[in-house]
Amino acid sequence: MYDLIIIGGGPAGAAAGVYAGRKKLKTLLITEEWGGQSIVSSSIENWIGTVSISGFELAQALERHVRAQEGIEIVSSDKVLAIGGISGGFEVKTEKGSKYQSKTLIVASGGRRRHLGIPGEDKFNGRGVVYCSTCDAPIFKDKDVAVVGGGNAGLEAVIDLFPYASKIYLINRKPDLIGDPLTQEEVKKSPKVIIINNAQTQEIFGDRFVAGIKYLDKQDNQIKEIKLEGVFVEIGSVPNSEFMGGLLEMNKVGEIIVDHKTGATSHDGIFAAGDVTDEIYKQNNISAGDGIAAALSAYNYLLNIKKQSPAYEK
Amino acid sequence: MAKVIIYTTPICVYCKMTKEFFKEHNVSYEEKDVSSDSKARDEMVGKSGQLGVPVIDIDSQVIVGFDKEKMSELLKLK
Repeated sequence: MYDLIIIGGGPAGAAAGVYAGRKKLKTLLITEEWGGQSIVSSSIENWIGTVSISGFELAQALERHVRAQEGIEIVSSDKVLAIGGISGGFEVKTEKGSKYQSKTLIVASGGRRRHLGIPGEDKFNGRGVVYCSTCDAPIFKDKDVAVVGGGNAGLEAVIDLFPYASKIYLINRKPDLIGDPLTQEEVKKSPKVIIINNAQTQEIFGDRFVAGIKYLDKQDNQIKEIKLEGVFVEIGSVPNSEFMGGLLEMNKVGEIIVDHKTGATSHDGIFAAGDVTDEIYKQNNISAGDGIAAALSAYNYLLNIKKQSPAYEK
Repeated sequence: MAKVIIYTTPICVYCKMTKEFFKEHNVSYEEKDVSSDSKARDEMVGKSGQLGVPVIDIDSQVIVGFDKEKMSELLKLK
């Protein structure tokens, strides 16, 4: 039985892994992929201590740092499907059918891209509907496209599209953009960009590929149509917490509720960190800090159960 | 040896991961950058019926995205 199983290989999981290694906990880290959601970012410029690093390089650095710890075991390219309670701890079941047992758990499974949930979105996924702007922006050379979302991710997608698309409609649900002012300025300066505020995207239509979108203009309550070939969906993320079932207390958007001092969840022995929790700021640096708090709390928890067990008296 | 073509864009991380996977397993491949080569773009769309990268063609069998297991299977890697 492991002392600790860490679920996730983003900044939270990796930080927990490094600290667990240094505390000599018998640890297993399970992750589908290293680096977390910012792996697709072409340049991360706020990872403290590093002026600029690509998401890919950050992912590699995190993986290397975890692998440098003695005594940590790693299962990558597998996915946790369910967690159950067993005597003295927990059992983790994976997609590939493996089962692992541990005394404590750190859930650092992060988030994934939020979908619009409108007609045509699934049908045209990969056929004009895009969730990775750094990957697929260049494919829309000389095409008209829409970016849905007025936050930082939306603005960054617009910037990814600058060198390629001919016209970029930025569809924003709110009356004003909400991304960083500096990035907003850059976006507003471009003659390619048409910002449409107060707009609720309703449908993506087409034949084999995307041919356009329909949106509700909330100012005059009319449904309007734009002909275009690409729709970049950039409306935030949802937590990867489904596999926890009803084991932990969550808020209404499915984030695991934690004690922000310790990372403790509603269940003894289970800690959580990063974007899967109700942490307000979904940031790489904060997730790393959360992961560290969770690892130290797991360590203290293990010390306490050792003290309480009769064997310790001998 | 299998004939391998990968359709990429310049900063796509899953394209990089796929190429590193090929290097790791000594698989030689031809790379087509669809951002600069519109013929390659059309070829990719024709083969895969979709508009995302990477697209990997292994002896005319087409994979969309960085799918280690499927690539290993088609390349007969252990």
